[in-house]
Amino acid sequence: MKKNILIIGGGPAGLEAAASLKHSGNNIILIEKSHQLGGHLARWDRLFPDGIRAREVLDKMIASLDGVNYFTDTDIAQINILDRSYSVILSNGISVLADAVLMATGFDLFDARKKEEYGYGIYDQVITNADLEDWFRTREDSRIDHPKRIGFVHCVGSRDEKSGCRACSKVCCATAVKQACEIKAEFPDAQVYCFYMDLRMFGKHYEDLYLKAQKEYGIRFIRGRVSEVAEQIDKTLQVKAEDTLSSKPLKVTLDLLVLMSGIRPSQNLEPVRKALQLAKDDDGFINERDAVYELQKTSMPGLFVAGAVTGPKTLPDTLAEARAAALQILSYLADNDKKPAK
Amino acid sequence: MDLNRVDQEKYARLVKLEPDVTCCIGCGSCTASCSAGVFSRTSLRSALLALQNGKEQEALSLLGACMFCGKCLMVCPRGLNTRHMILSIHKIYSET
Amino acid sequence: MMNLLSLLLPLQDVSAEVIDRIPSGYNHFILPYFIGILFCISWLLVGLLRNLASLPAEDRKRLALSLVTPKTAWKNIRDLFCDCLFHTKIWKRKPLLGYMHSAIAFGWFMLIILGHCEVALFVPKHLSFKEGNLFYPIFYRFFVWANPEHTTLRGSLFFFLMDFFLLYVLSGIGLAMFKRIRSIALGMRHTTKPSLADRVALYALWSIFPLRLLAESFTANLSGGSFLTYSANVLLRWLFGENLYIMPWWWAYSIALGLFFFAMPFSRYMHILTEPLLILYRNAGLKIRTLNRGFGEAEIYACSSCGLCLDACPMNIQKKNLRFSSVYLIRFLRRHNQAKVDRIADKCLQCGKCAQLCPVGVNAPAMRVVQRSLSNNVIPYHYAYMQDVAAAAPASQGKVLYFAGCMTRLTPRIIKGVEKVLQTAGIDYVFADKEGGLCCGRPLMLAGRTDAARKAIEANRQMILSSGCTTLLVSCPICYKVFREEYDLPGIRIVHYTEFIQELIASGKLSMEKDGTRYVYHDPCELGRGCGIYEEPRAVLSQAGTLCHASKERDESLCCGGSLGSLTLNYKDRGKITEGALETLLAENPECIVTACPLCLKTFSEKSAVPVKDFAEVVAGHLPQASA
Repeated sequence: MKKNILIIGGGPAGLEAAASLKHSGNNIILIEKSHQLGGHLARWDRLFPDGIRAREVLDKMIASLDGVNYFTDTDIAQINILDRSYSVILSNGISVLADAVLMATGFDLFDARKKEEYGYGIYDQVITNADLEDWFRTREDSRIDHPKRIGFVHCVGSRDEKSGCRACSKVCCATAVKQACEIKAEFPDAQVYCFYMDLRMFGKHYEDLYLKAQKEYGIRFIRGRVSEVAEQIDKTLQVKAEDTLSSKPLKVTLDLLVLMSGIRPSQNLEPVRKALQLAKDDDGFINERDAVYELQKTSMPGLFVAGAVTGPKTLPDTLAEARAAALQILSYLADNDKKPAK
Repeated sequence: MDLNRVDQEKYARLVKLEPDVTCCIGCGSCTASCSAGVFSRTSLRSALLALQNGKEQEALSLLGACMFCGKCLMVCPRGLNTRHMILSIHKIYSET
Repeated sequence: MMNLLSLLLPLQDVSAEVIDRIPSGYNHFILPYFIGILFCISWLLVGLLRNLASLPAEDRKRLALSLVTPKTAWKNIRDLFCDCLFHTKIWKRKPLLGYMHSAIAFGWFMLIILGHCEVALFVPKHLSFKEGNLFYPIFYRFFVWANPEHTTLRGSLFFFLMDFFLLYVLSGIGLAMFKRIRSIALGMRHTTKPSLADRVALYALWSIFPLRLLAESFTANLSGGSFLTYSANVLLRWLFGENLYIMPWWWAYSIALGLFFFAMPFSRYMHILTEPLLILYRNAGLKIRTLNRGFGEAEIYACSSCGLCLDACPMNIQKKNLRFSSVYLIRFLRRHNQAKVDRIADKCLQCGKCAQLCPVGVNAPAMRVVQRSLSNNVIPYHYAYMQDVAAAAPASQGKVLYFAGCMTRLTPRIIKGVEKVLQTAGIDYVFADKEGGLCCGRPLMLAGRTDAARKAIEANRQMILSSGCTTLLVSCPICYKVFREEYDLPGIRIVHYTEFIQELIASGKLSMEKDGTRYVYHDPCELGRGCGIYEEPRAVLSQAGTLCHASKERDESLCCGGSLGSLTLNYKDRGKITEGALETLLAENPECIVTACPLCLKTFSEKSAVPVKDFAEVVAGHLPQASA
């Protein structure tokens, strides 16, 4: 019998899960709250560690949707828990009786204005990682005008209790090193600094990227968290940090400061989470059933998760989770069929 | 540095007085933003390390210029109670 | 019956003249009362003398001078009546609670005064100790009977007044009993746990007046009475017949009084007699120097342990923090429990709300700072570098000197806002600490590091004086408070940016364009309760948009949780305070929270879902487009 599977979120996790489920003989409905598919990936220019184009990856994903029903500009209006299914009313008026729901709602980038001492939204020369990706794609940003001295601040809104997030965002270190190399390639005369607390280059080829940044691009890595930024009369920025390796306070004048906004739980998700009585972590992400074996399941039967909805993930991790979730959904539906109805 | 010579009993008293001293991640925000540090070498991060390494006098000298303004409290990413750490270090290690 | 009574009370020979009262001699039942009050008075006298002796000579002189200076003397009288008898401070905030307190205090006071008047008017030789007449005012209805042959209007009036005030007190006692069961009905969420002495004194106090009512009612057919006691007497005689056993009631009444006076020096009721002393000390301008002596001791004993500070304290959003409230600081100071006193002293945010709301005006935050200084003032400091800063004053002859302060470096919005406003208004100003400066000294003060604070204050003072400025403009309320209170800056006006901008607008140097934004203003502790500035920021903000109310504002406003006042509060607990304060601010669903303190701005911004803006930032955002 044909089952309804609702996928919430049209980012990489949702797209990949939909593609994995499309030949299962079930009815797949994918909804995306914004007007286009792709999530944050659609905003990105190139991806670490090798610099492949985000657009190419995304195009492949969308191409492999191939016949899956999807609705953009669509959100959940109402969701109710039934005995073995979920009754969902979408914001476009369509109702779905879903036998399984996959939450692939992704994440929000930390609002860098909240770290006022870094001056985002106050000083013209302060941008975020996402702003820089926009510029890489479009070359349109008046704030980036042949900078000679550029700084990257890691861990903005990550590993910071004051931002409500103790956890590491996992992807910012590699992103910062990638972006540092890219901007250095754009402005070969510029001096580029990375201010980090701990450099977490854990993935395959990440360390190679780090080495390349040091060797080929001459990026200067400073182990110290930026504590404050002041604007000077000529609109340049004075940045203060401690070089903790030499135990000396340090200041440097910069023309451009890039803040590596971290990964925060999606605020959009909150009403759905509440309606489904799902537990969240201290940092606001959805709790998976356990942290090792049942990563794609939640406390609710028939409700699955994939990607950054449960915490920061790299893109390959997210895609792997989406495929895993697809398999688990199918086995859940099969098991459910065997059980006698109540 | 000889970790065998660290006064563990004193350090344990410090931890009891202000448990936050064990939670520093060494980011240097306190030192970078320090109001006194502009004029005279001051570093809570270094002082904590110095204590863990048994260098009590060095730790005290790194905190003597502190004006207690509280900027370190505001910038600490772990939300540690920096000012009470400083008071507690003085209380335990300045005693004669 | 009459025979029995006349044996007990030998009537005086009054046949010579016609009088309306028949006084009689002595009875043993007065002894409990007599011993109790004797003990209480001697205890208090010794305590008072010891306290006066423990004042430094300079303070004693100051006190004596204040008592004879007409201005302070008049203030003393006014405060004594308003605070001790009428409890105007409680009335204003919690009318029912105010009624309860003034019913007991003022009612009892009137019973004592009227009792004495009655005796003075109706009993010849009323000052004679030998004839036992000294107890007459307290046990009047027992010792002085009405002459049924001779009633006067004057006599009836006194009967009426005494009954009236007894009923008044009884209504207060009734409310007090009700409050023990359901305090929230009288506007108190939390109440204190009474100590043993408090309990003894409390139950004694509760029983004094009902027992007095019963004793007087049983006697009213002989002594006379008015609407209350006489009616009760009629009822009692109807119930029990003519044989009324009056003695047990007078004994019980006296025992209750004796018990109360005996327990009083060890109980919270010491506040009744210490509050007047505290008022005199306070009006004389004394400062708390040591906690268990002099002014400090007066503060301790003036605390009525009423527990209004429990609800006032922003920390008490978490129940576990109740134990750090001012009332317990004082209780443990009285018990000399150093460890607990230290812990309570260090935790406090120093927001000043408990002192502001305290009916007695006990300055617990100041007491905490004195307590902190005991262990913190000895901490060494190395401030040689301050000399260089003091010497490097920015030249600002005749100009405005803007002192941003340490914290403001972390809130660049404030600096941007202030500079834009100053430039738009055409003010000639110099930025005092653009490249970093010394701390104002207030955080050191709050930590009890007074000597170190003095060094910072002196260095900054020299810097400001030699700059040549005529106006010192500050945006941080923490700096503002200490500049106002501890800096001696002759010829220099110290002004907070909320006042300064309000004046710029009033004088037409600055104009603002209003939009429909709904703002709510958060009163920073140091600016509101600390410096009394409530109106200026509101006047300006109401020209930027619509000003909403917070559920707690002005002197009731809650600390943001970021306060430098607390030494030991951890980040998680601070967060709870922040959330509590935000909730009060969002009562009327404003679109934007505005504050005028870098610490509040930063603390709220971290937690608030609604945008939080700085005062100057809002002003700068509402300047007319032409000048913007």
